[in-house]
Amino acid sequence: MQKLGLDLPLLPTTSVGSFPKPPSLARARTDYAKGKITAAALQAEEEKATAFWMEAQEQIGLDVLVDGEQYRGDMVVYFAEHMPGFEIGDLVRSYGNRYYHKPILTGEVRWPGPITVAWWKFAQRCTAKPVKGMLTGPYTVMDWSFNEHYPDRKSACLALAREIRKEVEALLEAGAKIIQIDEPATSVRPEELPLVVEAMQVVTEGLPGYFITHICYGAFRRIYPAMLEIPVDNFDLEMANNQLSLLDLFREHRFRKDISFGVVDVHSHVVEDRATVEQRLEQALQVLQPEQVWVDPDCGLKTRSVEEAQEKLRVVVEAARRLREQYANRSAPAR
Amino acid sequence: MRLLTASTGSYPRIGKTPDLQLLRQTIAQWESGKKTEADLKAAEDALTRAAIAEQVDAGLDLVTDGQIRWYDPISHLAGKLENVSINGLLRFFDTNFYFRQPVVRGPVRWTRAVLRAEYELARAASPKPVKPVLTGAITLARHSIVEYPPYQKDFRQLVLDYNEAVAQEVRELAAAGASVIQIDEPSILQDPSSIRLLEETLQALASSKGAARLALHVYFGDPAPVLERLLASPADIVSLDFTYNPGLVERVAAARPAKALGLGLLDGRNTKLEDPGGVLRALDRILPQTRAEECYLQPSSGLEYLPRDRALEKLKRLVAIRNQVRN
Repeated sequence: MQKLGLDLPLLPTTSVGSFPKPPSLARARTDYAKGKITAAALQAEEEKATAFWMEAQEQIGLDVLVDGEQYRGDMVVYFAEHMPGFEIGDLVRSYGNRYYHKPILTGEVRWPGPITVAWWKFAQRCTAKPVKGMLTGPYTVMDWSFNEHYPDRKSACLALAREIRKEVEALLEAGAKIIQIDEPATSVRPEELPLVVEAMQVVTEGLPGYFITHICYGAFRRIYPAMLEIPVDNFDLEMANNQLSLLDLFREHRFRKDISFGVVDVHSHVVEDRATVEQRLEQALQVLQPEQVWVDPDCGLKTRSVEEAQEKLRVVVEAARRLREQYANRSAPAR
Repeated sequence: MRLLTASTGSYPRIGKTPDLQLLRQTIAQWESGKKTEADLKAAEDALTRAAIAEQVDAGLDLVTDGQIRWYDPISHLAGKLENVSINGLLRFFDTNFYFRQPVVRGPVRWTRAVLRAEYELARAASPKPVKPVLTGAITLARHSIVEYPPYQKDFRQLVLDYNEAVAQEVRELAAAGASVIQIDEPSILQDPSSIRLLEETLQALASSKGAARLALHVYFGDPAPVLERLLASPADIVSLDFTYNPGLVERVAAARPAKALGLGLLDGRNTKLEDPGGVLRALDRILPQTRAEECYLQPSSGLEYLPRDRALEKLKRLVAIRNQVRN
């Protein structure tokens, strides 16, 4: 991190990516879909919402910020909407009463020029703290799309990796130092983990950034510790939702990279109290070294209300600060 | 040999038009206290009727209720059993669909019929026979968090207790007149060492089925390693997902099955419509080798993994292919 000019505190706090859209933006998106407002009017609302979340993150005291993805509907669909080679399908269910427009690969995929860079710049202008560049990884884009074009999953995934690398290069050129490449689909087919590794290699190899990947809601037992071969610096993992059961795996095989440790459940309306979150973090620190731990929610917060999301972020920051004070006063054990 | 067309399980519960958005809107309003339980049930009924109508209009011989009321394949039944509560989300196999995990904190006990009323409503709404679908005991158990020590030491007992609940559901459905009852056991393909346990559970279900026939359906994996055992199991119909192993067609043909087969030759998880020639070649290999009186051509899995328009196209393609066989 220091090589990149970043000076973060012990137990840096961050969030996984998405935040809920304020009601005014939700209305604007509906109006835009119905043709009632222009694209420029929608973008103005998206910028207003992004600025709101940048200020909220500053006020709450997070250390590494995100743009909150106010301009995205879904993490895969957003990129599919921008990249030639995709069509956007009708709705399919994600869970419960949640649905998304699943993309369809119908042609050769192509990077059309910077997709997220303007938003990253907009967000970074709002703060002196580092803002993560946020991308969805090639394996997840492939897995969460229908494929009517490529002969197999591997060729679709590697074609996407070559194009997504160009977006990473564009973010780095714009000044981003921390780039998160989400691969929540990583654990779906354990036998394809080598493909996830190969694709991430294509995306990140030789590039000067601190890379994070977010993986969630999967069968980690089937891919750990082999998943540590994915060439990133930090794994952002949901821990609260599975009652910290992954710590048992880390006891068996040392977690040898940095981790963004999810300490609040994003699919519950209940905001955890500080003692609960501190306890989760203390349990983490019984297994992990404080120097390798970042602290965040389990996953993106977009399904919560604006108030719930802020409260969940606040308790993350409060708990991390308490533990940070405690651990700063101790001599760090050798890593 | 008759080749019938069948639905495999779920069907999309949303679509483009306002009437097909009704359930999503009603659930959201029910969650915020603006709609009643009766409103929710009415919306579920409406979308169930729509799912049945599309399957019937597509020309299927055997339909399902689309599992429209199911939050997911696991918690719908497990969550209504005694000593089972529902926890956080987990990915369902290699899909990007998520289910809520059951937490077992005591002996699993069935207390009331879950599917019978759903089946009766669907049957009343359908001019074609309706096949109720149940998730099997091994799949329920493999997807549960077990916090009850006796089960932690004895997985088999957990499976058998879940199976008793499934058996009660089978009794209720058979009593209500279901002629085919589908038991989904995708977990057996991830866990083939449990094949003996699967046979045991199916034996118990077979003694509960009355006049109904049991259709075992395995999917989201290659059934080849356990194929012969599945074909010899106490199920009346064995239904397979052909999308994971291109060599499965030859394996099935070589096994010369005596049982009715469910042939999941159309990919329930990809929008790409199958080339009829490829499916017909597979049917030409399998059907002459099958000694049963009938088989079913069907999607490899439930169809709610597809957008509604593509799900309907898939069913129409399926029926068109079957009609070529018939001609």
